[in-house]
Amino acid sequence: MARVSRTWMTWSMVLFVIFALAGCGGGADKPAAGGTPAKQGDASKPADAKPADSKPADTKPADAKPAEEPKLSGDFEIQYFVGGYGDTWWKQVISEFQKLHPDLKIKESAGPKINDQMKPRWIQGNPPDFVYIDGAGSNTRQMVIDDQLMDITDWLKGAKNVDGKPILDLLIAKPEEYQAGKYHAVPLVFGSWGTFYDKALFAKNGWDAPKDWDSFLAVGDKIKAAGGMSVYIHTGVYPYYINGALLDPATVAFNNYDGSIIKRINALEKGVFKSEPVMKALGEIVQMRDKGFIDKASPALNHTDSQSQWLQHKAAFIPTGIWVEGEMAKDIPQGFEFGFVPSIGQPSGGKFVANPYTSTVAVAKKAKNPAAAKAFLQYIFTEKQAKQWAEMSKAPSNIKADLAGTKATALTIEAAKYYSSPNTVVAPEVTIPEDLVKVRNDATLALTKGEITPEQWADRMETAADKARAKVNK
Amino acid sequence: MMRGVKNPFWRLFVNVSLVGWAICVIYPLVWTVLDSLKDNQQFLLGKPWDAPKLPLLWSNFSSVWMKYHFGSYFVNSFVVTAASTVLAVLLSAMTAYIIARFAFAGRGLLYYSYLMYLMIPTFLGIIPLFFLLNDFHLTNSLLGLVIVYTVAAVPFNVFVLVGFFRTLPGELQEAAAIDGASHYAVFFRVMLPLARPGLISVAIVTVLNIWNEYIFALVLVNDPAKYTIPVAVAVMQGEMQYRTEWGPLFAALLVSMGPVLVFYTLFQKRITGGLTAGAVKG
Amino acid sequence: MKGNDFAGKSRMKRNLFIASFIVPTLALYAVFAVYPMFKGIYLSLFDWSGGSESYNFIGLGNFKEMLHDDVLPKAIRNDYILVAGKVIGFMILSLFFAVALTRLNVKGSGFYRTVFFFPNVLSVVVVGVLWRYVYNPNVGFLNSFISLFTKQPFDYAWLGGKWSIFALLPPSIWAGIGFSVILLVAGIMSVPESLYESAHLDGATQWQQFWKVTLPLVWEQVQTSVIWIVVTTLNGSFVIVTIMTFEGGADNATQVMGSYLYFNAFKYGKFSYGSAIGVLILVLSLITTVALQRLMKRDAIELS
Repeated sequence: MARVSRTWMTWSMVLFVIFALAGCGGGADKPAAGGTPAKQGDASKPADAKPADSKPADTKPADAKPAEEPKLSGDFEIQYFVGGYGDTWWKQVISEFQKLHPDLKIKESAGPKINDQMKPRWIQGNPPDFVYIDGAGSNTRQMVIDDQLMDITDWLKGAKNVDGKPILDLLIAKPEEYQAGKYHAVPLVFGSWGTFYDKALFAKNGWDAPKDWDSFLAVGDKIKAAGGMSVYIHTGVYPYYINGALLDPATVAFNNYDGSIIKRINALEKGVFKSEPVMKALGEIVQMRDKGFIDKASPALNHTDSQSQWLQHKAAFIPTGIWVEGEMAKDIPQGFEFGFVPSIGQPSGGKFVANPYTSTVAVAKKAKNPAAAKAFLQYIFTEKQAKQWAEMSKAPSNIKADLAGTKATALTIEAAKYYSSPNTVVAPEVTIPEDLVKVRNDATLALTKGEITPEQWADRMETAADKARAKVNK
Repeated sequence: MMRGVKNPFWRLFVNVSLVGWAICVIYPLVWTVLDSLKDNQQFLLGKPWDAPKLPLLWSNFSSVWMKYHFGSYFVNSFVVTAASTVLAVLLSAMTAYIIARFAFAGRGLLYYSYLMYLMIPTFLGIIPLFFLLNDFHLTNSLLGLVIVYTVAAVPFNVFVLVGFFRTLPGELQEAAAIDGASHYAVFFRVMLPLARPGLISVAIVTVLNIWNEYIFALVLVNDPAKYTIPVAVAVMQGEMQYRTEWGPLFAALLVSMGPVLVFYTLFQKRITGGLTAGAVKG
Repeated sequence: MKGNDFAGKSRMKRNLFIASFIVPTLALYAVFAVYPMFKGIYLSLFDWSGGSESYNFIGLGNFKEMLHDDVLPKAIRNDYILVAGKVIGFMILSLFFAVALTRLNVKGSGFYRTVFFFPNVLSVVVVGVLWRYVYNPNVGFLNSFISLFTKQPFDYAWLGGKWSIFALLPPSIWAGIGFSVILLVAGIMSVPESLYESAHLDGATQWQQFWKVTLPLVWEQVQTSVIWIVVTTLNGSFVIVTIMTFEGGADNATQVMGSYLYFNAFKYGKFSYGSAIGVLILVLSLITTVALQRLMKRDAIELS
């Protein structure tokens, strides 16, 4: 319960502001970058007092002293994953950065499969300079284990962004210490897992959004009885969706809302996968499986498949993240109203457990142009970019910023409501090595299909964890 | 008279089976064409066998060609295929000629060392090959692919061409040698032209194999600018989980199949002949 | 003397010519095909994760680790399901088609040959993408077709089940059968017509002709096809598996040795373990081909 730390409170506050403003301001128009903020604010940035101009590149030299500006040149390769958040923001920020440093030859290696595509180059020791770590097959912790990321602890502690503000102070979620006392990556994006439904559909049918496990089962029974759609569809090709949205929060709930269980999982503590909270959480999956709630097509569906099935009302609930609204923007049927709850696994009358999903950026250890990579970090961790991110990616970033006037999506607003509620506990993120992620995905999927028992699930995890520990100790 | 089936039931069964299988083969292709002209809505709401709605979405093709960069992947595939085929056919013709026509110590060993490659799975070599090419700075390079493809094509080509050179009349070679022509002149002026039908057969098979090759290209090329078409198609299908664009995906399949389709219609006899050349004696 | 000298020179020229024609190719072959194979075997005895400098000799450690690997038995099983399924499917169908196209006097046999072979010239990637769509639970061809006859929309996840390895058989057969059909057609056509004539005069039916004449005489082609199926499956099943079911399907339901090698090496950086899997593929395929050759040889003698 002590998990609701100051940083989370801050983030909640920020989101609350969006909520409040979006609530009354409604469809506030898209502000031109750098333009609107000037209107509303003494509080934010002194630099914004400068006459609004459309070219961000021009504002910059005024913000930071040109003299401090290192002259950057040479090749600079940026790897970024393109998923639910799209690539609009990246294209924009990279072109701004390019204008600022005309001598830099920037190469973008980007796409939805970029993690797989670039993997061999990381192994070869020929990585890009800068990487945004997100999406299937990405795993910051694994990259740290493999010694692929630069230790930026000392630099980050003193690093100021181009506006002259210390980067660390701007972060909502602090960088995870994958090795004690060391920073290798900085979280850039702040998302949240959850269980999603169509509010309009639920209102029409008189179904209630679940508040806890029992109410989920109750409404599930009603949906099942009504026929015509399955209760719960999930992304079987990537079972980390159901892990993140159902299993992990339920585990925390059964640990008396104490997130330390996740820390123990991350430390691969012996026996943790057999511990009571985990077993109880797994028991819930078994329960909904045995009730026939889980859509039979799920195992073969990737996220857009499952999400479009859900949007077409082939199923009532889906575990995914708040980025779903942006991701599926093109395929949202008329009248669909996104709604979500952070967790459904908590025992009757319990609190919600919110499971955040942050995505980090990092500098490669073998970067050929670390100076440019660091400068780029300083460039993107600004309030201005936080706003642009919110605008273009339709999701909150990890940078504290006054997002007033930006257009928040319904889900962001809803997320803000939950994250700012005293009735919500925020869990730490599960970060385990990649081969364990795979074992966990496989095991969870097998469990949803009734091919293994929770005990077998736990055995698989313990065996894999044993192996991983043996490796570390060698 | 010895041929044919009398029993009308069997006759029907045989004919129905043949027609059935032919439909199984042709229909998916027809359907690829139909689906390449649809938009997402038609996929989600219609049936797979529905004809595309008008106006036909030819833009799917331009989208694949431009937005998905299949234009440049096509060029990559073309360059790699052409270069590797020419090299592989030339090198294997040289080796095959020697094996077929010259007695020397170790000839059998040489021949069987190439044959071995056809008999055993070579997947094991992919890991060291990756690091080897990396050391030579030949990963992410079309040249690296050309080398690997050439080498991979040599064993089969040698195998077929040795058989072919053996069937050529030896008198011409001897006559040319007596005329004082050098060994090189005999090969390039006399034997190679004679071997043309065999060379064309192996060239066709090589072209098809390389155009369609996936594993080496996947492992050895990680720079999107240097993708070949099969890798690009696989990546595009992988990307479908983030932005579903069925129409362009099917258009991409057609871009990949197109040249093969043309090639196949032109050379059908030689292709089937070339592939079985090694396997059927006589 | 002079003649000897001349002969010596010409011998030298000849040897030079031979060397110049075979050595460059052989060198390339040695470096880019043979060396990686041996290096792979060598690597399998180490504990090495690619980029890192640590390079520890662990002998058979990787192979011992295999014994405790839950996924590997599945992968081996799946490879052999594919091999067995393909051998049976290919042989039954292609013998049937080959006989139909040669002995049964059907119309348009040239057309069928052309059509049946066509999928063979397609990239397995294309085949996989096409068939993944055929199997798509909601918008795919197969389920849409079945739904025509069911009340509720049929939405079985063909590629998400415990046994979805079997769903990979139809595309494999669809894509590969043309080759063995052509092979067998060529084999049957090379059988002297007189044999059939005398069989006919002896009163043998079509069915008996098949067993007594056709099969024994094309047995060599059958053997070739079977070996070819084994080698190409163990070597190449990776492609159809990763294209159609990405990381090996639901809970490794479609994982095969090739894909497991690939993921271990290029995804998890366990290159030496991956190499050990490669060695396993090599050993298993050698055992399988030798065993099959033995088995089929005996049959051939019995039949002829």
